[in-house]
Amino acid sequence: MDEKKSFLKHLEAWVDGEEVILDADKYISTRTKKEKRSWRHHFTIQYVKENKKLYGILSIGISVLFIAIMLSVVNSLPEYGNAHNPANNEVMERYLESGIEETGAINFVAGMILDYRAFDTFGESNVLFLAVMCVVLLLKKDKNNYSEQEEQEIQEDDYFDTNEKHPILQIGAKLITPLVILYGIYVILNGHLSPGGGFSGGTIIGAGLILYASAYGQKKMQSFFTFRTFTKICVSGLLTYCACKSYSFFTGANHVGYEIPKGIAGNILSSGFILPLNICVGLIVACTMYGFYALFTKGDI
Amino acid sequence: MREAIAAIFIIFGLIVFLISIFGIFRFKYVLNRMHAAALGDTLGLGLIVVGLMIYSLNFFVVAKLLLIILFFWLSAPIATHSIAKVEVLTNKNYEERVREK
Repeated sequence: MDEKKSFLKHLEAWVDGEEVILDADKYISTRTKKEKRSWRHHFTIQYVKENKKLYGILSIGISVLFIAIMLSVVNSLPEYGNAHNPANNEVMERYLESGIEETGAINFVAGMILDYRAFDTFGESNVLFLAVMCVVLLLKKDKNNYSEQEEQEIQEDDYFDTNEKHPILQIGAKLITPLVILYGIYVILNGHLSPGGGFSGGTIIGAGLILYASAYGQKKMQSFFTFRTFTKICVSGLLTYCACKSYSFFTGANHVGYEIPKGIAGNILSSGFILPLNICVGLIVACTMYGFYALFTKGDI
Repeated sequence: MREAIAAIFIIFGLIVFLISIFGIFRFKYVLNRMHAAALGDTLGLGLIVVGLMIYSLNFFVVAKLLLIILFFWLSAPIATHSIAKVEVLTNKNYEERVREK
């Protein structure tokens, strides 16, 4: 193995299994380490401190270059508000002219993302769900990736959470959390009437849950929000979304046959399926936000 | 006239924010830096929101802006307290660092 082979020959031998190292542990412990050659070696903090002038000139030059590129890009942008801009095409006209009539939502953005482009939003919710599932795969604690030291740390954290002498954070969380969650619910339910909707409202609810969990600890949170409720809420939200939106596929992608009653535009119970879809998206986003927090801090929901 | 008063309030708020940013970069220790950051969160934000209130003078707008001030003045001290507590509990030689800087 000392002679130099070409990369392809190495690969062939590796695939055939000829390059197996016997006693790999012994080999790893005895081999000489490769000298690491990286740019960090040349540009240490010491080097920067010695050559302050060069560093200043370089940083100013790079900043000026970037500013020039950005300004030139801004200069070549079409004028704001021009009627002949490429953004002003028939799609925008259609949305603005017949958006309320076709979707029943006063908030055009909600009408767009939850009616015209509902499948796009469905994909986004699935992406969130998949991301949190990947984090669960990697970080959820079980017998194989769990040491006694971690358990001791978690017990210390619980001790600090429960035996607080000056519970300023807990009193604050008690005051603020209900208001935050209430505001999130308002944003979700008013998604088709005012700016907001499932994603922003769900994020606000998730922030409220994170605040509560960080003030009162994992154990108190698990009295009403366990891993089972988390998966149930996420999966039922996604399935409801899927069922609500499949109707337009099964009716020929054109809402033919059965028309959902739109109601009077401006009422809270209007605009067809947009309200339940907003609720589904909001639940998924809230669970995802809290799930990320809980998994990254404690390794368990 | 009203707009001029509002502008004065907003400009003072921005000056306070500028001072707090300078403070964050000048101080080297966590607790000192937190002191500088809290300046912007309380006084700077308060001045800017009061300026906006004077600018609009609509009842609902003023009420919403009051809620913003209330939320910030309720949550920022709690967050600051938590950060300071973690610093004091975990940094073992913090007395030395306080004396040095």
